[in-house]
Amino acid sequence: MRHVFLALIMLFGATLAASAQTLQPIIQSHVEEIASPSRNSVGVALDDLVASGLPQVTDFLEQWVEKNVWQSGDGTFFIAAETDNVLTLTDIDTGEQRTAPAEGFTQLKPNGGVRRVIGTALVQFQLSDPDLTRRETAVASIARRPEAAQMAPLLASIDGETDAALKTRKIQLANLLSARFAQTPTDRIAAIDSLATDTSVEVRAVLNQILSTSSGVALSEPDSNTAAIIDPFLEPDVSYATLVEAGLAPARQTAAEIKGALEANIVDGRIGGLPLVQMDNPDARVAAYGALAADGKVPELITESARDAALSSHLFFELYDEPNPDITQAAENALASVETRVAAAQTVDLTLDALSLASIFFLAAIGLAITFGVMGVINMAHGEFIMMGAYTGYVVQLFIPNYTVSILVALPLAFAVTFAAGVVMERLVIRRLYHRPLETLLATFGISIALQQIAKNVFGTQARPLTSPDWLAGAWIVNDVIQISFIRIAIFVMALIFLALIIYILKRTRLGLEVRAVTQNPGMASSMGINPNRINMMTFGLGSGIAGIAGVAIGLYAKVTSEMGSDYIVQSFMTVVVGGVGNVWGTLAGAAMIGFGQKGIEWLNPSNTLAAQTYMILFVILFIQFRPKGIVALKGRAAGD
Amino acid sequence: MERSFFAKNPSALWFLLGLSLFTIVVTILSEASGTALISTSFLKTLGKTLCLCLVAIAMDVVWGYCGILSLGHFAFFGIGGYAIGMWLMYARTAEIVVTSLENATLPPTPDEITNAIGGQIFGVVGSSDFPVIWAFSHSLTLQLLAVVLVPGLLALVFGWLAFRSRVTGVYLSILTQAMTLALSLYFFQNDTGLRGNNGLSGLQNIPGLEAQSQATVSLWLFWASAVALGAGYVLFAWIVSGKLGSVIRAIRDNEARVRFLGYHVEGYKLFVFTITAIVAGIAGALYYPQAGIINPAEIAPIASIYLAVWVAIGGRGRLYGAVIGAAVVSLMSSWFTGGGAPDINLGFYVINWTDWWLVLLGLTFVAVTLFFPKGIGGLFDLLQKRKGDAP
Amino acid sequence: MNTLLEVSGVSVSFDGFKAINNLSIQIGEPELHAVIGPNGAGKTTFMDILTGKTKPDEGRVIWGERSVSLLEMSESQIAQEGIGRKFQKPTVFEAQTVRENIAMALKNPRRPFDLLFKRRADDAEARVRAISDEIGLSDALDQTSGALSHGQKQWLEIGMLLAQDPRLLLVDEPAAGMSPAEREHTTDLLVRAAKTRAVVVVEHDMEFVRRLNCKVTVLHQGSVLAEGSLDHVTKNQDVVDVYLGR
Repeated sequence: MRHVFLALIMLFGATLAASAQTLQPIIQSHVEEIASPSRNSVGVALDDLVASGLPQVTDFLEQWVEKNVWQSGDGTFFIAAETDNVLTLTDIDTGEQRTAPAEGFTQLKPNGGVRRVIGTALVQFQLSDPDLTRRETAVASIARRPEAAQMAPLLASIDGETDAALKTRKIQLANLLSARFAQTPTDRIAAIDSLATDTSVEVRAVLNQILSTSSGVALSEPDSNTAAIIDPFLEPDVSYATLVEAGLAPARQTAAEIKGALEANIVDGRIGGLPLVQMDNPDARVAAYGALAADGKVPELITESARDAALSSHLFFELYDEPNPDITQAAENALASVETRVAAAQTVDLTLDALSLASIFFLAAIGLAITFGVMGVINMAHGEFIMMGAYTGYVVQLFIPNYTVSILVALPLAFAVTFAAGVVMERLVIRRLYHRPLETLLATFGISIALQQIAKNVFGTQARPLTSPDWLAGAWIVNDVIQISFIRIAIFVMALIFLALIIYILKRTRLGLEVRAVTQNPGMASSMGINPNRINMMTFGLGSGIAGIAGVAIGLYAKVTSEMGSDYIVQSFMTVVVGGVGNVWGTLAGAAMIGFGQKGIEWLNPSNTLAAQTYMILFVILFIQFRPKGIVALKGRAAGD
Repeated sequence: MERSFFAKNPSALWFLLGLSLFTIVVTILSEASGTALISTSFLKTLGKTLCLCLVAIAMDVVWGYCGILSLGHFAFFGIGGYAIGMWLMYARTAEIVVTSLENATLPPTPDEITNAIGGQIFGVVGSSDFPVIWAFSHSLTLQLLAVVLVPGLLALVFGWLAFRSRVTGVYLSILTQAMTLALSLYFFQNDTGLRGNNGLSGLQNIPGLEAQSQATVSLWLFWASAVALGAGYVLFAWIVSGKLGSVIRAIRDNEARVRFLGYHVEGYKLFVFTITAIVAGIAGALYYPQAGIINPAEIAPIASIYLAVWVAIGGRGRLYGAVIGAAVVSLMSSWFTGGGAPDINLGFYVINWTDWWLVLLGLTFVAVTLFFPKGIGGLFDLLQKRKGDAP
Repeated sequence: MNTLLEVSGVSVSFDGFKAINNLSIQIGEPELHAVIGPNGAGKTTFMDILTGKTKPDEGRVIWGERSVSLLEMSESQIAQEGIGRKFQKPTVFEAQTVRENIAMALKNPRRPFDLLFKRRADDAEARVRAISDEIGLSDALDQTSGALSHGQKQWLEIGMLLAQDPRLLLVDEPAAGMSPAEREHTTDLLVRAAKTRAVVVVEHDMEFVRRLNCKVTVLHQGSVLAEGSLDHVTKNQDVVDVYLGR
């Protein structure tokens, strides 16, 4: 790949040799083209300026584009800045400065087209400019608007490039340009082949440009680079339109045209001899139109069979705009390879997306799973605890403007606030309703309704922001296809931390031991001196506290509203139900399944996230048919009935 | 020892008497009769309340009697509304379109009429094609059939799936809530063909009744709602009072034991779930012509939760409890949120009931669940007891 | 005496714990048969399998003259085939009257629409009365069954079983928590019932079993340890070791 452009450097390097010392004479030899340039004429002047190889040329061209070049009455050009009708003149060659009244000087105002041409010429100087930023700007401007003329200067600048990253970029760009503009097909094919491993949007655009086609129609196959022969009956109307455009067939009448023609030819309540009242029948309309056509009043109706006849007597095809079949073939191959890689990258991207969605569901559901698993209590206000956590984060940010500090304060505070709310709710409501699960469900509904409305009254209905610190603002970009925002990564990490923490609490602490004892056999546990009331209170507080933290996490990437809880509650329940009750791993499996399922369905039907949710729920309902106790089911007697 | 239906269900007799009396009084006071002591908009509110009472007794049967806390019955209600709404909207738009095309130079072809109607109805979602589910919207009979069949079949299929896998208790509630969410999301989509979140509107204009004033039409719809409520009450009283009712209540209390008595429990639940869904659909079909508009937000899970709230506050396990709950809570709700209730000035804060009504309702509901599990209906027990205690 | 129920080679395990291990047992008709064993011997699981609540991992359960397998049937189908079960803890429907409880159990068509549209069998009331007489609750017919004493609830439950008119009656610890007089009454009920049908009594209380005076099967760790008359099995050294000796 390297030798391709090395060869090209040799070719173009020679033209850059210097030959004169002052710029003004060269400019003066092109007064006409420079003073009043047009897009076509300016090229000659630029060629000479560039060919001079003088260091002043860059500055002159830049100032020219900026409209800072003035011509004095005697025809000399200066770089000048105007203040209050006084010009500060700078000599183009010597840099000498003096002031003069603006009278007698004319400002050069090249138009947009000319400025673009000058810009292209300028690029070759900027590409080798000592200032890195200038070089980067030049490279970016080439990438934005690639032209054949920029290839040579770009190639020439590669060897002298000192910045490693920019050099890589220049080589990449040189390949892109070569693929389109290199002079010999061999060079182009070599460049195209070198693109096959690149998945960037740029490369795909270039390959698609090389493969651009235009549709055509003829009586027989043309002798050029054909991309495809089209069956006109796949989309007969579209194909017929091509035919009409090529002037090979008369246009079909639209329904409105036929109607207009009929309306224009009403004679004594009759059209073509047929009474007006019959015109509510489409067949009668056709007959009337036929009669009018027979009288020569309207063009002949093109019927469907006439259309089909015209279609079958012609050949429809797509032609490559690129005449060389070897090049298009190479581009097709490269594009196919690129697309395979893109598909693979998209799969990875989708997996990452699904993973982050799964972590959100996990965070939202794990608290619910704990309270449901240990206490058999469904907390319908769980979503509102999530909301409470998010609003806690918002309020903290009102007081602490530093986002990093405020998030660090908000996380434990959200836990504390919702933990307290959970404990209060457990003591006041849940405790009185043990062994009446449906009533618990209802009472927590009531609380959920009230909390949501209180939040609405306090914070208003519009969404409140919860801003993440700057270091979480960006995204981790692997390539043009795979990128994932840092917030989602942070949420994923947070989910992992909580998974570890909860497993630690349940398996390694006294509280966890007691919780497990109460889960498995409350009666036995209480006879062994474990106070089930205390355990239930702690468990409920813990579950609610985690909901609060999930709220902060969710608030960071979504908006904080009073209804955000209800957006997550059903999915959280689905996660718990699918995963299986009373098991952290079950919740993890449930979250993974719902997250991946939802993303998978979204991928199948990308335009419609609502549909994805709908189908996901239907899937869960069906899933319950086959595993009523969830993925990780407690077996045997412990499961009860 | 066969006794007549009303002898076994004195409350049904009282209820029918009360309902008739109420209907007569409202009729006399309505605008249509000339006295106009009840405005047409309030008449509509009363008519709608009767429909809500009907869906509430259906909810009571499925929950209070059979123990299935369904969080999906308001979705069935909405589906009934959509089914009738499709006909109302189609027929009404067709009338307008045909009238507007009467003066066209050429008499319109059937296709032109259909396209014009489609453009009118589906213009808001950027389409003019009729979706497949509108295939029967031209026929009142078929859409009326849909009012019964769609909720019925949906309940049948969902219930069959849920009950056969022995999903019970809170699990079942969550599953019904998921079904409701799926339905409302489905209705929210534009490509479902039900005008997305625009819903169906203009349903108060009944095709063929343009000659009648809204006052008269509203009265007729009120009567229809009253008849439906009365019939629904008798139907459910009949179902829950006999031996079938005995089995249904037994299922609520101990499902496994009923199974060992040789009853196919799933069949019973499915029967109750389906028939209540059908009644909910009918109630919805009567409600939305009075409301005038239906949109997917009406089906959202929270609506079914409110339905449960009404029944719980009214007192579940007794049909009149559900009626009281639905009537009291829904009327109070429109009074509070409609700005009817006076604000309370606490000095440092003014309680505006439009904002705080839901907080009050939520907390009341918690209190009722905790302290008055029998709801308002429980007061009748106290009264009866006192009467019994009196010499 | 014909064989009514044949259980052969049945095993079931929960999370690796073998609750029933290669159990085989035969029940004739009519017969009174007691199943005894220490806690965890698999008595309740054995009943769960017969009534369809638990599906065994292997083995066969064959029923009746047509030799149908009970393993493919649901609980309600098994109940309709004629197997009635009384639970250890009395489970009557406490919110309903004694009459409703018995009427629900009566052997009648059991589909929802049958109950809704078919007129009740004319003899239903008579049958309810007969059964309530037998269990000694004829005075309490219109009482809410939640208001009954513990023993009365046990009898009501047995009455409901009789109303089902099953060919096989499974009774789990019927005498638990009863006074001596109530026990005697219960014994009489069971012995009388066993004259026309098969009755299997699962019991913990040896005295009660002695009074039943019937064939006894001793279960231990999910399999049959000994079978025969009570005197016979109490002399068996294995039985003494695992059960009586303790």
